Parts: sequence; C-alpha cells; structure tokens
Amino acid sequence: MKFYKRTDIAVILCILAVSAVSWGVYNYFFTGSQVRAEIYYYSELVETVDLAEGKDTTFSIPQDRNVIFHQYPDGSIAFVESDCPDKVCIHAGRQKTAGQFAACLPNGIVLKIVPEKEAGGEDADIVI
Amino acid sequence: MAGKVTAIMNRKNLNRTQMLVLTSMIFAAALVLAVVENMLPPLPVPVPGVKFGLSNIAVMYALFFLGKKQAYAIGILKSVFVFITRGGIAGLLSITGGILSITVMILLMAIFKDKITYLVISIFGAVSHNIGQFIVITVIYTGMNMWAYFPVLLISGLAAGIVTSTLLRFIMPAFNRLA
Repeated sequence: MKFYKRTDIAVILCILAVSAVSWGVYNYFFTGSQVRAEIYYYSELVETVDLAEGKDTTFSIPQDRNVIFHQYPDGSIAFVESDCPDKVCIHAGRQKTAGQFAACLPNGIVLKIVPEKEAGGEDADIVI
Repeated sequence: MAGKVTAIMNRKNLNRTQMLVLTSMIFAAALVLAVVENMLPPLPVPVPGVKFGLSNIAVMYALFFLGKKQAYAIGILKSVFVFITRGGIAGLLSITGGILSITVMILLMAIFKDKITYLVISIFGAVSHNIGQFIVITVIYTGMNMWAYFPVLLISGLAAGIVTSTLLRFIMPAFNRLA
C-alpha cells in the first residue's frame, strides 16, 4: 500500500463538501431568534434560561456551585468558571444558536440551546 | 542481525513471545504519544475536546504491520489507561472511538485491499473515532442535535488523519528499528 495517491485529493474534497453541506443545512434550518438555554445536571433538566430577554447576569445551578455561567445581553450564554481539570467547557465559548451545546463532562453539566417553540417533527433531536 | 530484522519485518516468522514484546512496545509508544499530546496547548477551536489523536499513530502501525488482534489489544489497553487516569466517561469515549476506528480501518483494508492509501485509511479512522465518541455523548446525555457539530467532526477528523498518517510515514524507520 502506498501512503498517498493523487486520487486521495478527490476523497478529501468529498469530505469537505459533505461538511460544507451539513453546515449549510444546519444554518438554514436552525438559525432563528427565539432560543432558550437548558442546563442539564446528569441528564436532568435543572434550569431554563430565556436568552431573548437580553439580560446580563452571572449565575450557577444549585446542584453545583463551583460551575458558573454568564448570560450576555446579545443573547448568548457561556461557562465562565469551573473546577474541572481541562476547562473544555469554558473553551467552548458563547453558545447562541439552536443546536449548539457545551458540556462540562467531569461535573455532569450540559448546556444546550433549544428553539423557543417546539417545532413539530422537523426539529429532531437525534436520539439513538 | 540483518537476518533478524528482516525476520521480524515479515511478521509471520515471529513467535508468540516476540509478538507479545513488540506489541507491548508499540503500546508503550501509544501511551507516550498520548502524554505528549496532552502537553501541547489546546487548539483554539470552538468545539470541546478536539485533538490530533497522536496515539493513533501507534495503533495504525500495529494494524498495518502487526495484525488485527494486536491493534485491538492496543486500542483496548489504551482505553483502560485512559479510564484509570482520566475517569469513567473519558475511558468510555476512548474505547468506543478506538474500537469503531479500528473496525472501520479493517473494513476499508478488506474491501479495497491495495487500491487504497494509508492516508485515506487514516482519515476514515480519525473521523470514525470522532463519530464513535459523539455517539457515546449523545447516548449518555440527553439527545443532542448532531447536525450542529457534524462538520466539525468531519474536518477535525480529516486534519487529524492527515497529520497522523504523515507522522506515521516519518516515524516508520524508527518503529522498524525497534526490531
């Protein structure tokens, strides 16, 4: 087997095309203004934040006071502080669009952005 | 000495002890690569947990030149190591990503035999590793909207596959000298 052939470029372009298409699909269907954030603690919904209100607050959930969220006036929400070793959740930055999520896995906290209205069947959360 | 090197290159001549030792050394190399990778600064990508997967270099070497059982063994042992050092969820992610990745690479090699290149196998291995991890997260935590991060999965897998296969190509002489 060889390491590299010219036809590999075709494979790479295909993969890039598929990712561009799915990014386009995501943007087309899911970008909207009415969103809210849901915070889950070990798969249990513990807090819902309406991002359309444009508040600017810092808070944490009662189950885990070491993880701190910040809600911004532009309608986004982010992890700002956490006691986990990797800080992956903080690096994820601000979450704003439906379908985005950030998670602090060591603490079991998931921050999920969902559309305000439950839009019928098209807005499927893929549950496997 | 040259005779011994070529004998080990042609792995059918290895007895079980030699294969065991060689697999263990490659496993150790996988761990070292994982540790080194952890020391690199985190990538400025807005997605949690994107990494190059340098330890896959060792897994791929095992798959290409040692055998399927050896590759699976290294993948599983690596996951046990991750489980011990970083906790249950990380270990679960590692084992599903690893097993799915190795299985996909074996399928590709079986279907395409010699028409495929190491680069493409590496890319699909990295992408399926990401997909495996993502499925685990979707199952454990409430159902996520996968489409949001699918492009990131593909592109980071693509980049990781290119990086790891290129590094494998450069490291090959050193791996062969292990014999």
